[in-house]
Amino acid sequence: MTTNETNRANRANRTNEQPDVGRRAHVRIEGVGKVFQRRGQITEALRDVDLDIAEGEFISLLGPSGCGKSTLLRIIGGLVSNDTGVVTVAGATPETAREAKQFGLVPQAPALLPWHTVAKNVRFLTDLHTSSASAAGSQTVLGSAEIDGLLAAVGLGSFHDALPHELSGGMQQRVSLVRAFALGAPILLMDEPFAALDEITRSDMRYLLLDLWQRSGATVVFVTHSVTEAVILSDRVVVMAPRPGRVVTVEDVSLARPRSPEMEDDPVFHEHVSRLRTHLRESHSA
Amino acid sequence: MTGRSLTHRSLTRRLARLGAPVFGVVGFLVSWQVLVRAFGTPKYLLPQPSDILRHIGSDPGFYLRNARTTLWEATLGFLLAFVTALTVATLMAHSRFIDRALQPMAVLIQVTPIIAYAPAIVVWRGFGLEPILIVTALVCFVPFLLNGVSGLRSVDPNLLELAHSVHATRREIFLRLRLPSALPFLFSAARIAVGLALIGAVLGEFFAGVTGGLGYAVKVAQAHVLPLQLWGSIFVLGFLGASATLAIGAVERVALRWHSSQRH
Ligand SMILES: Nc1ncnc2c1ncn2[C@@H]1O[C@H](COP(=O)(O)OP(=O)(O)OP(=O)(O)O)[C@@H](O)[C@H]1O
Ligand SMILES: [Mg+2]
Repeated sequence: MTTNETNRANRANRTNEQPDVGRRAHVRIEGVGKVFQRRGQITEALRDVDLDIAEGEFISLLGPSGCGKSTLLRIIGGLVSNDTGVVTVAGATPETAREAKQFGLVPQAPALLPWHTVAKNVRFLTDLHTSSASAAGSQTVLGSAEIDGLLAAVGLGSFHDALPHELSGGMQQRVSLVRAFALGAPILLMDEPFAALDEITRSDMRYLLLDLWQRSGATVVFVTHSVTEAVILSDRVVVMAPRPGRVVTVEDVSLARPRSPEMEDDPVFHEHVSRLRTHLRESHSA
Repeated sequence: MTGRSLTHRSLTRRLARLGAPVFGVVGFLVSWQVLVRAFGTPKYLLPQPSDILRHIGSDPGFYLRNARTTLWEATLGFLLAFVTALTVATLMAHSRFIDRALQPMAVLIQVTPIIAYAPAIVVWRGFGLEPILIVTALVCFVPFLLNGVSGLRSVDPNLLELAHSVHATRREIFLRLRLPSALPFLFSAARIAVGLALIGAVLGEFFAGVTGGLGYAVKVAQAHVLPLQLWGSIFVLGFLGASATLAIGAVERVALRWHSSQRH
């Protein structure tokens, strides 16, 4: 059985159970620190970060600007190296995991190829993936029919031949999401993918993302500025604080799966939100 | 508003768009004609456009033959510049050191008047096609180089990071990200280089001891005081340059359908 199938199986029978019960750590972060030096100015982007991320978990990194969320995401993805501490991804280094094509990245800007149609854009990463000889990763990219299915699921079924500039920002971001899921990668890294969208589009995108995630069974690390977004999406929310970038607390979200817009009126939802807000405020004034 | 009058209006607008440049050129030639007549300028100083056109029509074979020679030289020089400039630009885009080392050379080539080192190249390489190609390629080289470097560097950093996240090879990044991103820049360079290629070819013919091409025709016409042949060659050169520019524009519109420069 591939990791992917295992994940899907896991997902199928854990719709309503509590997160991270009895599942092994997919990503393990121990004592990680990172210092940037630019023009003589030293920034401690991360200090002594510990975090275990379970397989199939949806985890959010929440915190003010400059607290090292993007840096932590890049370290997990093997795009930036950590100065201290150890990161393991499925037992290997992030660099090895990246070479084995274990990651699907969703950047803040949709970052589509302007010269390709939607259909080609969603296959851009999978093409890079299969064209390389070292693509001996543990997961398989989605087939053409499956990718078309994802496009249909996000409401872009009739936009295969459209060019990116013909799409709205929200539609472009949906293409970017499908592109990442098309990889079939076991870990998805999302850096504020909805930050540039208006509030209504943004809210739709959240449930769309949850739907795609539910089908895929992937582990998701999701960076956001928004407390409500973090709560409605995540199994756990990691609250971070700046100068130096660090983890303040990790909050378990006790809302059931699948999540729905009605849950945003749930008192439990509001409890989480206000507790997280308090943490953010305290770490800020401290 | 009815559909009919709408299509009618868009047709008129289109005709106006196509007609305006024609109107400009014809207007220029007519004013020239009228002014030369009004002031009674002698034919051997400045002929009338109608006489120039009639002269071209009287010996089309001569102009066709020479135009073909010049066009061939210009095209070869243009392509030579494109290929070498893109190769060097690739090196420069990948290495800051090579970039810094070659920038001053590029500026030197650009600011030194080509007319000064054209004779030197003929002295070095001898008469014939070769110095013409070198001169042509040299004048086209810098626009291709500088735009090529900017273009190859213009890739969206988010796209680069995406490619790295799936461990794409340098070759894939070059072919699938850098090169397409550079296309709009290369087309801008090509539009500039078309005119420069004709300058290079004509200039090369002046010095390279050849006996063909429109530059040669201009040189002979000047030496033997043949104003009609002189102006006939100039007209044909202008026509060549304009046609080549239009052709590049047409290719660009198709190739860059996705790019913001092609949207109105
Ligand atoms: N390549 C770099 N060179 C120098 N400093 C950097 C670099 N990348 C990040 N930093 C610094 O490290 C700190 C953390 O940056 P990071 O981008 O991880 O924060 P963030 O939490 O993602 O912020 P935001 O919410 O604004 O995206 C910041 O102070 C930033 O200026
Ligand atoms: Mg960030």
